[in-house]
Amino acid sequence: MSRPRSQTPWPLAVPAVLAAALLVVPIVGLLQQAPWSTLSERLTSPEIRDAMRVSAIVSVVAAALCLALGLPLAWVLARSSRRGIGLLRALVLLPMVLPPVVGGTALLFALGRRGLFGRWLDRVFGVTLPFTTAGAVVAATFVALPFFVTTLESALREEGIALDEAAATAGASPWSTFVHVTLPSMRSAIAAGLALSWARALGEFGATITFAGSLGGRTRTLPVETFLALEQDPESAVAISVLLLAISLGVLIGLRGRWLSR
Amino acid sequence: MIAGRSRCPRLPATAALVALALVGAACASEPNRTVAMVPSSFTDLTDAIDAALDTETVWIIAGSSRLVSQLADGADADLLITADRETMQRAVDADLVDTPLGVVASNRLVLAVAPGNPAGIDELADLTDDDLLIGVCAIEVPCGRLAEQATTTIGLTVAADTEEPNVRSLALKITRGELDGGLVYATDARAFALDTVDDDALAPFVTDYVAASVHASGREGAGSEIVDLLRSAEGRDILLARGFSLP
Repeated sequence: MSRPRSQTPWPLAVPAVLAAALLVVPIVGLLQQAPWSTLSERLTSPEIRDAMRVSAIVSVVAAALCLALGLPLAWVLARSSRRGIGLLRALVLLPMVLPPVVGGTALLFALGRRGLFGRWLDRVFGVTLPFTTAGAVVAATFVALPFFVTTLESALREEGIALDEAAATAGASPWSTFVHVTLPSMRSAIAAGLALSWARALGEFGATITFAGSLGGRTRTLPVETFLALEQDPESAVAISVLLLAISLGVLIGLRGRWLSR
Repeated sequence: MIAGRSRCPRLPATAALVALALVGAACASEPNRTVAMVPSSFTDLTDAIDAALDTETVWIIAGSSRLVSQLADGADADLLITADRETMQRAVDADLVDTPLGVVASNRLVLAVAPGNPAGIDELADLTDDDLLIGVCAIEVPCGRLAEQATTTIGLTVAADTEEPNVRSLALKITRGELDGGLVYATDARAFALDTVDDDALAPFVTDYVAASVHASGREGAGSEIVDLLRSAEGRDILLARGFSLP
């Protein structure tokens, strides 16, 4: 059954076109400036290949961490009625509004070698996060996690607790209910959350450079490489941006086709 | 009620407001002020210059390369000061500025160490120690080019753990003790109250700040008061107090 095609009222159509233009026009500007003839040459330089490898590792591990840590957190936010949950929910959203550079500075103050907790990490485990790939993963996870958690939390709320209650009545333990009832019903929300958090992690720049620094092959991700290239060789910066656009667009469209369509 | 009836006409009014705000934001230039583009290391100078001059200055502060690209993209300014000669040459080549007015200040490269120097850095050769956390500026920015030039000439292979996008973020990481040491400008070591290791080998590595009038500036001679001040006795005191050297 198809819905009747509705006419879009002009007070909606005009701002909608403006909004779409605002999002699309800069991309067109970027593509029009791209050095197409030398693109493949520029993108196969050793520096950019290193940055691609670092970016791939950092963004994928960050997305995996979002799944491993963010799913339980989303479940707690959606299901728990303890006091302080509202405050926790607000705190989870903070990295979304915090300028990433400030987030990176906060990470440095907390997890740096001389930081509040980092001091202890350094002394007890000999672990120093800044200037390591692990540090870049922490920075990317910090900014990407809210995207995963909010996506999953709203999906869990939408699903409601009726199924959970039915499973409990049938004698299933809360853990078994989570694994056999909740998890399977969350498949498309998990895919959406992963896509969003991965894309955010891939584009992450400010927190990464502030917390993890920038060293080729270790912490210099594609966005950091782009920022540095802008100083000297804007065409290379545009080339990397085109690459980032192509990768993320490809993955997001692919995901949409396979898992995200309703 | 009247308010209830005017629900729809409010939309175009909002759109008009948004448009007005955008136009207003885009046309914020002031006719009677000097707009000066200066590199990041001038950040701590601007207040002192403002206090010494009776004219008003609008400061645009960014990395030198970025300032030149902003000019190329049509930024409205009267005076450009860059942190090295090469960057100014790019502005000259692109016909963005008039013939440079010359050097107004200089800056030295120094080896700065974390507070208390826990790693015990006492010579330039410590920069090659893999067990220490060492930072330099990225080769893409002037302080990184100078550091690269210095270490290559001296014959050091720096075991860098990070190549920072600007000297300020490098100095911040040293002052927080996240890095054991690194090569920064004397002015940044001064601004962050960092201890430095003296080594004459670094003495020849100096960068010169060059000033030039912006070609497209409609205000004849605007900005020369800043250059004149920096070259006066008062200006020299201001520069020296902040770690700059004199040209």
